[in-house]
Amino acid sequence: MKVLIAAAVVTLALPVFLDGKQLGIYVLAGLAAMVTVGLSLLMGQAGQISLGQASFYAIGAYTAGLLSVHGTAPVLGLLAAPVVAAAFAAVVGAGVLRLRGHYLAFATLAMQLILLSVLAQSTWAGGAIGLQGIPRLSVGGFELAEDIQYAYLVWAGLAVVLVVAHNLVRSRPGRGLRALATSEVAAAASGVPVGRYRLAVFTLSAAFAGLAGGIYAFYLGYLGPGSFPVLLSIEYVVMAVVGGLGTLAGGVVGAVAIVLLVQALNELATSPGMPSYAPSVLSYAVYGLLLVVVVLWLPRGIVPALRGKERT
Amino acid sequence: MTDLPGYLVTGLGTGCGYALVGSGLVAVYRVTRVVNFAQGAFAVVGAMCAASFLTALPHGLGELAAVAVAAVVGLLVGMVALATDPRSALIVTLGLSVFAYAVEVLVWGDQPRSFAGLPGAVTIGDARVQSHYLLVIGVTLPVFAGMALFFTRTGTGKALTACASNPYAAKVIGIDVRRMGWLAFAIGGALGGLAGVLVTPVQQITFDADVTLIVNGFAAAILGGLTRPAVTLAGGLLLGVTQALVAGYGNAAHQTDVALGLMIVVMIWRAAQRQTRGPVEEPV
Repeated sequence: MKVLIAAAVVTLALPVFLDGKQLGIYVLAGLAAMVTVGLSLLMGQAGQISLGQASFYAIGAYTAGLLSVHGTAPVLGLLAAPVVAAAFAAVVGAGVLRLRGHYLAFATLAMQLILLSVLAQSTWAGGAIGLQGIPRLSVGGFELAEDIQYAYLVWAGLAVVLVVAHNLVRSRPGRGLRALATSEVAAAASGVPVGRYRLAVFTLSAAFAGLAGGIYAFYLGYLGPGSFPVLLSIEYVVMAVVGGLGTLAGGVVGAVAIVLLVQALNELATSPGMPSYAPSVLSYAVYGLLLVVVVLWLPRGIVPALRGKERT
Repeated sequence: MTDLPGYLVTGLGTGCGYALVGSGLVAVYRVTRVVNFAQGAFAVVGAMCAASFLTALPHGLGELAAVAVAAVVGLLVGMVALATDPRSALIVTLGLSVFAYAVEVLVWGDQPRSFAGLPGAVTIGDARVQSHYLLVIGVTLPVFAGMALFFTRTGTGKALTACASNPYAAKVIGIDVRRMGWLAFAIGGALGGLAGVLVTPVQQITFDADVTLIVNGFAAAILGGLTRPAVTLAGGLLLGVTQALVAGYGNAAHQTDVALGLMIVVMIWRAAQRQTRGPVEEPV
């Protein structure tokens, strides 16, 4: 609890001391953490993997963007973002989630490929050029124009996500989910409605991603299909796996660690004397190696490994 | 209507590529229960190697060498992936295929690659079709027939099938299950490499083409529950022909969407079937 309060105070105070570029990183890390907490729940608690989590991020972003471009109050757009993303997840998940194994992984991956190609071809969504001129988020007459305000918006968003997720983990469905991640047959035999709980956590993870996407749309003011590549979905998997599956802190720590690491690598790769392909090669290599190394040698991720050390 | 035979042939040709990628998935999944995400990367490695080798080697030899390299890559991926349990192995192979991006961009750059295939074109119906499509079909079908013979008639093939149906019993009678897993990955690598080598002359390939290949390959394999090579072939051909027809009579931009949508529908249909049968283990 002390750690939690300390983390909350530090992250609340932090934006005041950051300059423009660092604020941008703060916002991106917070948004990534919101998505990763959901994915970590899905992978750790429900034992399912989504390779298309960025598509829910995209759906949330486009929902908020399209609604506010067409004159809806931006706040309503932001509220609609998680709802629409969750609805998409419910439709796809309803059928596929009853299957075990890796069906959801490929269904979500296919969903993202379809979504990207549809977005790129739809004039109503701005096509390949993207959606431009998204207004800033405003509540009542108060407009969020400064980056630091978005930093606090992201902080609040992540807080909401964590509170909801925490309550889910501690509730009866949460215990049922953990049982089902260990042994589906035993959970089903003990009366856990396996399919329904799985669908619920998948939908919830999509809602988290959708909310993050909504904030992203107002923060950037521009959306294009290129902002949501398949690699982004894989990045979320890396973050969740590195942080530690199924733990809330793991999602946050993993996301922040990877965002900072990628930032450092970008600095390194764009320094003078490096070839033009260095940034992409370095980030691919690091994502790939991290996934393999963590799964093989640190299968529970950073956060549980650190906690285990504390106890012994 | 007279365009139809042409569309069918190009569709079957593309479908053969998906079927080969899918059968690589099946070969690995049957024996190890691992869904190998790096299967698409094998195809990319095979295609890129072929493009490089063909600058020095004659046709035939260059392609074969590329398939051999893909098989070795498959073996290496298998050695890493089988160090963990099948569920985590998907994430490991995902990591390896992202790592492969780094290597591919370093070695071959990030521009699309292609090389010359069988030259010329034939007239089928009213449409001119590149004769290379016929070569693709002509190579793929014997490969599937050969695989069927290998799995049912040879000692090694039977050992692989034994691991597939009951690993414990296979171990008891002295089959080295781990080594069979590695062999399965090498076979998967070769099949993936063959897909890349065959399809590249008619469809350029980039380092990140593996995502489309693996999703389509998975779609082909899923029809047979990831365990039946013959159904995978049928699934791949169905997928390829559907795409060609959508591109020919509808909008080329939507060809992949339709095929992927079809895959999701098939998965939901299979889920519904399982639902009516109850949650029993799939008899694989």
